Amino acid sequence: MADGHWSRRHVLAVSFQATLAAAAAPALARTIRGEMPWTPGQVDAPYPFDGARFLTPDERRCVSAMVERLIPSDARGPGAREAGVIDFIDNQLAGFYGRGERWYMQGPFGPSTPEQGYQFEEPPAGFYRRGIAALDAACRERHGGRVFAALDAATQDAVLAAMEKGAFDLPSGVPAKAFFSLVRENAIEGFFCDPLYGGNRDMVGWRLVGFPGARYDYRPYLNHNGQRITLEPVGLKGGPTWNPR
Amino acid sequence: MRALLLATAALAALSTAGLAQTTTYSQVERGRYIAATGNCQGCHTVPGEAPYSGGRPMPTPFGTIHAPNITFAERSGIGRWTKDDFWQAVHRGIGRDGQRLYPAFPYPHFTKMPRADVDAVYDYLAALPRVEKESPPNSLPFPLSWRRLMAGWNLLFFTPGVYQPDPARSPEWNRGAYLVDGPGHCGACHTDKNLVGADRQSRHLQGGELDNWAAPDIRAGRNGGISHWSDAEIVEYLKSGRNAHTAAVSTMAEVISYSTQLMTEADLSAMAVYLRSLDSPARSAASPPAEAVMTAGRDIYADNCSACHKADGTGVPRFFGPLAGSNKVRDPNPTTVIRILLEGARSVPTNARPTPLSMPSYAWKLTDAQIAAVASYVRASWGNAAPEVSESTVRSLRQTLKEAEAH
Repeated sequence: MADGHWSRRHVLAVSFQATLAAAAAPALARTIRGEMPWTPGQVDAPYPFDGARFLTPDERRCVSAMVERLIPSDARGPGAREAGVIDFIDNQLAGFYGRGERWYMQGPFGPSTPEQGYQFEEPPAGFYRRGIAALDAACRERHGGRVFAALDAATQDAVLAAMEKGAFDLPSGVPAKAFFSLVRENAIEGFFCDPLYGGNRDMVGWRLVGFPGARYDYRPYLNHNGQRITLEPVGLKGGPTWNPR
Repeated sequence: MRALLLATAALAALSTAGLAQTTTYSQVERGRYIAATGNCQGCHTVPGEAPYSGGRPMPTPFGTIHAPNITFAERSGIGRWTKDDFWQAVHRGIGRDGQRLYPAFPYPHFTKMPRADVDAVYDYLAALPRVEKESPPNSLPFPLSWRRLMAGWNLLFFTPGVYQPDPARSPEWNRGAYLVDGPGHCGACHTDKNLVGADRQSRHLQGGELDNWAAPDIRAGRNGGISHWSDAEIVEYLKSGRNAHTAAVSTMAEVISYSTQLMTEADLSAMAVYLRSLDSPARSAASPPAEAVMTAGRDIYADNCSACHKADGTGVPRFFGPLAGSNKVRDPNPTTVIRILLEGARSVPTNARPTPLSMPSYAWKLTDAQIAAVASYVRASWGNAAPEVSESTVRSLRQTLKEAEAH
């Protein structure tokens, strides 16, 4: 090989490895000929909220406190608490999202750009667990032994603002800014998701912004001549008007 | 010794070949067409397996019957049958060994076929590849498993006899009547059955129920289910699987793919002429559902259905089935409407319209009460006046389908 020639042994070794690789490749692709297959009753239904939890009660309190400061209940309407954002996040962490099952989770790990998305070695559930522990440890140290959830609202806001700016160091090398933005992102998802997933309870998020929900057809409203259209929001599993009572 | 064996084998091969030698290409092709008019392939083939090799389960109210292998395979097929044997089966419902066939094999209809046509089907089947494949045993409970019982059934409900043209009618009408009631055996699904599974002649082609599908009234005369279809639209439906009023799904989709789309326009027109001559009794309009049901149904419809079927139920003809005036929707029997909501449906891909469209299943998304409400709504809107659908009807069909799937 050193002189640039392939030895017989080398060729054999390479082709053997190639065969192994081909055999090990999972059969994700398949060829469909003629008509598209169709099976009665087959459906790509969403994975609805199933009540499963990942977080411990203490961890839940911490994340609840975070999301309730991010989307507070105030004069403008219900917030993360009423929307059940913590139920959404906890259920997601207990499912395939928490396990990072649908992501590429191999190396290399390390510094990345925001465009590259989630780049941590551990899947979101593990990252939450480590982040919460670090946040509570940091709060105990700086705020007289009190965990994040036990702080008053103003102090919680200050901690979150500092995390967002990257001006709040967490122990065990947890990147505070990244942890903050993950929780923030999940809080928004939990506030505006379809109610099917456990968050956006009673469609409070949609009502706040006037989103009419998962409707298929807006043709009846095309000629509204600029008039305001108020429609009750509709989720994937419908709304109260779907039930004949 | 070896030479002798070889010679015997060669002779044996020659004698089988001898049968085939008498059949010409045109005779085989004639048989192919006649077999298509009878949709033989539909029942005698497990989808995806060798044509006519049998084994397909036919669920009946009495138990499951498996269509036999009718390739000319020696052991598991009908390779040892003579033309007379085949005629006895098709014309009289009697198998080669003398035992009675079950009328899941529609010999009460096929008996109308003339001998020459039955012989042509025989020659066609003889020309097909022979596939040795045993059909699973039937699961009929005693005493139905006792085939002799069918002799009594035949005595009561079966009149053997080749179709006799009605001289008062046009040749086209007679051809249509022969195709519809003979090889086409439309009544096997579209005619209501009595307690022992025989056609109720008084309700000929006025709708039936089979295997958890409602087959609607297909008469095109006064008050008939398809009286609003033109002759050309009937032909278009049978040829392409779609027309301005509907799209074929499920069992009818099979009938169209294996049978009617392969038939000549002249034959399909003749069927339309015959169906046009059949009137149905007037339907009484059902009382409309309660306001609460209609309101819920309207909202469910707006949020789930209207994007394709349109707010006024007119759909997009030949793409998304119109619901206003639909024969399936207006059927007094709501089974098909409920089942399509539960399972979804796919319009049949045909040679004329090869791209099927499918409707998704709503079983995961709508409760029994919601399916009942939206079904009741479409059955009572836009001029439709079919009876309301109850929640318990939906619940029991959902359960039945779940059990059928588990089998």
